[in-house]
Amino acid sequence: MRAADLTPLARDVMKLPASMGLVFFSLVGAFLLAILPWSGTWLLARPDFVVLVLIFWSVQEPRSIGQGVAFALGLLMDVSDSMLLGQHAFAYVIAIFGTQVLRVRILSFGLAEQTLHVLGITVLTSASMLLLNLLLGADFPGAAYFISPVVTALLWGPVNWLLYMPAVRRRRGESGS
Amino acid sequence: MIRREPPAFFHRGPSPLARLTFFTLAATALMIADHRFHALATVRLSLSVLAHPVQQVATMPGEVLGRVGEYFTSQERLLRENQELKAKVLEQSAAAQEAHLLKAEQAHLLSMTAGKSRYVENGTIAEVLYNARNPFTRKIVVDKGLTHSIAPGMPVIDGTGVVGQVTNVGTFSSEVTLVTEKDQSVPVMLVRNGLRAVAVGSGKDGSIDIPFMPVSADVQNGDMFVTSGIDGTYPPGLVVAEVTSVQKNAAYVFAKISAKPAAGVDNHRYVMVLPLAAATVPRPDTKVEEQPRKSARDRARARRQ
Repeated sequence: MRAADLTPLARDVMKLPASMGLVFFSLVGAFLLAILPWSGTWLLARPDFVVLVLIFWSVQEPRSIGQGVAFALGLLMDVSDSMLLGQHAFAYVIAIFGTQVLRVRILSFGLAEQTLHVLGITVLTSASMLLLNLLLGADFPGAAYFISPVVTALLWGPVNWLLYMPAVRRRRGESGS
Repeated sequence: MIRREPPAFFHRGPSPLARLTFFTLAATALMIADHRFHALATVRLSLSVLAHPVQQVATMPGEVLGRVGEYFTSQERLLRENQELKAKVLEQSAAAQEAHLLKAEQAHLLSMTAGKSRYVENGTIAEVLYNARNPFTRKIVVDKGLTHSIAPGMPVIDGTGVVGQVTNVGTFSSEVTLVTEKDQSVPVMLVRNGLRAVAVGSGKDGSIDIPFMPVSADVQNGDMFVTSGIDGTYPPGLVVAEVTSVQKNAAYVFAKISAKPAAGVDNHRYVMVLPLAAATVPRPDTKVEEQPRKSARDRARARRQ
């Protein structure tokens, strides 16, 4: 056996996988939150729940949630937000690529540092979307546009806690029986 | 050394970078297809059908809150509203009676010549579901779609003026681009002196520009712009905007005119979607195409003769 298999960085290999139902329903829930009737400044400050949950699962379940799922969900967001088809898909794929690159780093840090990593990814996502729209001739929607990535990153802690709970309970239940 | 990649026997397909390249290229292709060729209407339609039930669930809490709020509105407010509406009806009844007469007269005159009425018969009442969640554009989503024979291009009005135009139709809902949206233009006419112009959305809330009006044009603050009807999309005479500021600077060829949209563009619950007026005069483009094109040989023969 190779030494690498015993390093702490590979510990997630031994972890119980999260149930696909949890992954699916958390993504549906994030989509639901995203398509609440936001408008005005609230819309500008709306955290991107979908990309946050996508980042979480691509960190925790890299084998099942990756760029393909991000692309599909991005298309769905484009349709429901009546944007140019492919914009969200583009931004989400970039976000998940960033997550895949940073994944091992993110896992080895505490919550505060993780939030900073996520902030980097969400700012990149928002900036790429803004750049695309400016290229297409839209006006700059205002500085409030950059509230959204910050709020999204700040929600990393709560989302982490919320999505970990069922997984932890499951593991406890299985070890107890 | 720490291996970051999993062992080779866990086959994981293409590398993240390869995937990124593939998906960004796909997204770019989609964006070009959508932006340049407007080729993805069916894809959008089918995806919107998929998202529709989820969308309904999402708008439900807001709707319930609204209903509950309505139930508890004070009697005083209702009475006041009722009085205002009654006053409005009285004000408008004279105009309406006159309009009946004019309509009858027009129908009579039209029966003598081969023409079509300029006035629309009836529209479809639609409820505004929500503002489109797109910080870059100004659109609203209404609850009538293909199933209610809504078509792209239909004008949308409310009680006080033009709201916008249907730009995207789904099965059960459609998107209305507001008149304040950037580059959304409406052909208009000044009520006071019949001056024709084009009202163009400024991209800011509650503001419309009237570009390309000469400095010498007779436009004043408070002037009312109504649709001129020359585009064959908007029926004539719908109120579009009221002039709020006129800046005339001799250094520029054109005056800078801003106007306020007459319709409550950002706050309405019900709107009316008007059917597309049948074009009475064929458009210039189609006429050109109808003419048989001369081949190079024909032209050469004509020159020789």
